[in-house]
Amino acid sequence: MSEGAGVEVKSTSAGAGVVKDSETSEAAGQKVVTPEYMFFEAPRERAFITGSEAAKEAIRRANVDVAISYPITPQSETMQQVGALWAEGYVKEYYRGEEEIGVMSAIAGSSRAGARSLTATAGPGLMRGMEVVASWPGGRMPIVLLIMCRVINAPLSIQPDNAELAYLINTGNIVFHAENQQDFFDYTLKAFIISERPEVTLPVAVAVDGFFVTHARGYVMMPSKDIKLPPRDPYHEAVPVMDNENPPARLSRDAPIQKSNFISYHVHASWQQEVWAAVERSRKYIDMYMGGLVEIVNPDADTIVIASGSAVSQSREAVRQAEEDLGERIGLIKVRSLRPFPTKELREACKNAKRIIVPEFNCVGWLYRDVAAALYGHSKAEIIPGPRVFGGISLPTEMILQYIFPDKKFIF
Amino acid sequence: MSMDNLKISPALEKYMTKEYRDLVERGPYGKQKKVSEMGTFKEIIEEHPMCAGCAMTLFIRLTMIGLPNPEHTILVGTAGCGRLALSQTSIPFIYGNYGDTNAVASGLKRGLEMRFPEQPKDVVVMAGDGGLADIGFSTVLHSWFRKEKFTTIMLDNEVYGNTGGQESGMTQRGAILKMAPKGKKYEKMDMLGLAKTANVPYIVRMTVTNPTRVASVVRKAVLIAREIGPTFIQAYTSCNIEYAIPTPKVIDDAKSLEAERYGFQEFISDEAKAFLESIEPKKAKATKSTEA
Amino acid sequence: MNKERYNIRMAGIGGQGVVTASHILSNGMVIMGGESTLVPFFGSEKRLAPVESYVRIANGKIYEIGEIIYPNLIMIFHPQVITHGKSYTMPFYSGLKPNGVVLINSETPIHLVADEERELMERNAKVYYLPATQLSREIADTDLATNMAMVGAVSAIMGIPDLPSLEQSVKERFLGKGFVVSGGTAALDNVIERKFAKKEQLLKKNMEVIVAAYNFAVEHGWAKVKEKVQV
Repeated sequence: MSEGAGVEVKSTSAGAGVVKDSETSEAAGQKVVTPEYMFFEAPRERAFITGSEAAKEAIRRANVDVAISYPITPQSETMQQVGALWAEGYVKEYYRGEEEIGVMSAIAGSSRAGARSLTATAGPGLMRGMEVVASWPGGRMPIVLLIMCRVINAPLSIQPDNAELAYLINTGNIVFHAENQQDFFDYTLKAFIISERPEVTLPVAVAVDGFFVTHARGYVMMPSKDIKLPPRDPYHEAVPVMDNENPPARLSRDAPIQKSNFISYHVHASWQQEVWAAVERSRKYIDMYMGGLVEIVNPDADTIVIASGSAVSQSREAVRQAEEDLGERIGLIKVRSLRPFPTKELREACKNAKRIIVPEFNCVGWLYRDVAAALYGHSKAEIIPGPRVFGGISLPTEMILQYIFPDKKFIF
Repeated sequence: MSMDNLKISPALEKYMTKEYRDLVERGPYGKQKKVSEMGTFKEIIEEHPMCAGCAMTLFIRLTMIGLPNPEHTILVGTAGCGRLALSQTSIPFIYGNYGDTNAVASGLKRGLEMRFPEQPKDVVVMAGDGGLADIGFSTVLHSWFRKEKFTTIMLDNEVYGNTGGQESGMTQRGAILKMAPKGKKYEKMDMLGLAKTANVPYIVRMTVTNPTRVASVVRKAVLIAREIGPTFIQAYTSCNIEYAIPTPKVIDDAKSLEAERYGFQEFISDEAKAFLESIEPKKAKATKSTEA
Repeated sequence: MNKERYNIRMAGIGGQGVVTASHILSNGMVIMGGESTLVPFFGSEKRLAPVESYVRIANGKIYEIGEIIYPNLIMIFHPQVITHGKSYTMPFYSGLKPNGVVLINSETPIHLVADEERELMERNAKVYYLPATQLSREIADTDLATNMAMVGAVSAIMGIPDLPSLEQSVKERFLGKGFVVSGGTAALDNVIERKFAKKEQLLKKNMEVIVAAYNFAVEHGWAKVKEKVQV
């Protein structure tokens, strides 16, 4: 499933697979710092890098134990650079798996072993691995999954389109949607810590729209590469790890529900309720580390655009043009966290809104459905589905402006 | 470390069940039990919801006795009859998704090796013929080619027993089963040959007819996997329900299949043999290489 | 400084250095103190296959991402993009904003059909023909500096990025560190480097081509600036 162009980084140092002594010692010399220091206090420097490089730099600082890769455009950029990190000693274990079911399963194995575990995929790869990914939350496995969204439906293409998130957000995985390279760096780093909190103990997916962010360069403020996050502490999590260092000996953590009966229904229901309660408990850390589930611009505006991922960037430009060229203040709500979903934040922010527009990079409109469900009975605003683009094309600012100002003409 | 974890805190002793106290006091942890000692120690598996007379259950029970270090062993399984028993064992058991066993085991083993460089942690996959040769085929073969250090045991009953008797890749040609109403059209898959192609250093085909041998083969397979590379045991564990074998005839059936087409085969690489001799000089000498 | 903001779509064929040109233009804008984003769009890295690249340059903040659907400036690196339809975007001017610019590498005007002429006129498009490959051959004795001529003309037409920033950008491209380049592009770079033997020579020739194209644009009245420059 790896077609299309791979853009490679021409490194000034030796390529992947060649370990230089200086690099090894550089990795070994990384100092462990608290998450708070890493996220808020450490001095940062500005770099102009691709989203793939931003992910790599986050992983370099994330004290990752096991990373397992499988190539698929546009993800390959990232995981092959993680391979280089392994060669340099920043990641302890790494290999290229057989395909996505194998990779998602293997990473579930390493997470159960108590290792901080990472993988990444894109579009069809996520769909292929979905059976496994959907089972991670029930297994209460801290894992970080990076998703570089791409087309999944026919006619197939490698371009960004985030329809794949439609089911993922209903699996119990925590799901963040990064807008740009900076988000991708920050969310990835923070995902490890949120994932491993005792009251959370869940996988966290950090999605980003492929190519637009992964292959394009943007400014990223980064702390020094001399520091890294504290290691995973598998003995302070919601369930025991499978390392045989936990009493009692009989420990079937992934209890199969043997047959259909009332006990099995009860087990399943209470287990899943607990998974979703844990998703909700992650809010505290999203507020603490990520500045909240949403970012709100111009909260008092009559018309509000609600978006996530790359659609936020397009909406920012539309909001800027509306204000600078047309003299109209338009609101913008960026949804950082798709799960947990910012229901109460949206109800509060939209209580006086008259029109709400939900631009999306997919044909199904999963964000629109969530927004409409959250606001039903809590807002008098007209909620407009769209504009939407399919197949991975960018959403032109003109289309968003057209939805904001239906009486004006923006597109020819 | 694990042994310490097993032990009951004195303050809690009176609250612990008899079952658990037996496990700690008379279980197989920290000592290698023999098949001949069955009945004198608390076994890793005692209860199970399998069909009466099931050969697979006997095989699993013997397997548990063969494990060299049950206190440091993690089992990995998938959908199928076997997991019904495996989830009742007194060692950790991972029940993942369909056909994922050898991928889960790969990640698990590497994670454990990374976390416990000084303490070997044994990973053993036990799944059915459908789980390993059909849906899990890719992860099995790739784990072998990657030289992942764990044991794969196929509980080969030549049918999808748990779903009610459908043809599998390991079914004999001609067998009439569900989804093969006109009889299976293709040969039984040669997983042993594939294991050889992948240079698996220890490959065994066997049945349940010789209990001591089952435990001894499992022990060797786990030890070799620890040091040398992947090991594979393909065991005939008949389905007396789908193949309509009368319960008292289950062992007779195994014996006749052994004579006809499922004879004991053991392939061991020179490296693996040398390793076994280095740790157990006498036992290894007795090992007869009967490569087909 | 007023808000200057251009969305550029570049179309050419594999091997012409379209993506390299977009990097140089983009990085030049950053060096000048502005912002730029760049999205290369190539199905697979094949010599002579269509290539597109999108660059936004501004002296202020840029939010948008992705390919540019409504550009102000379209750069056509090869006449075959128009004549043979070697392009992901058909017709070549689709999405061009009113009063936009189309810069075409061709020594002579390309014959367009009546509908195309009409649509370009309706948009009040300015269509400029730059003999970029010819300039590259005359000055650098190679076709491979065609992309330099194209960015040189853009600098004159748009005013940003300016020539010193472009020069620095070219330097970083060939001498600097850590550029994101494709495997195919790296191989081509080696060909160019061998041809010129010395990198310094390569840089000098590239800058000469850039300046020649810049002056060509000034001479023909396409540019905001009126003054020609010396190397």
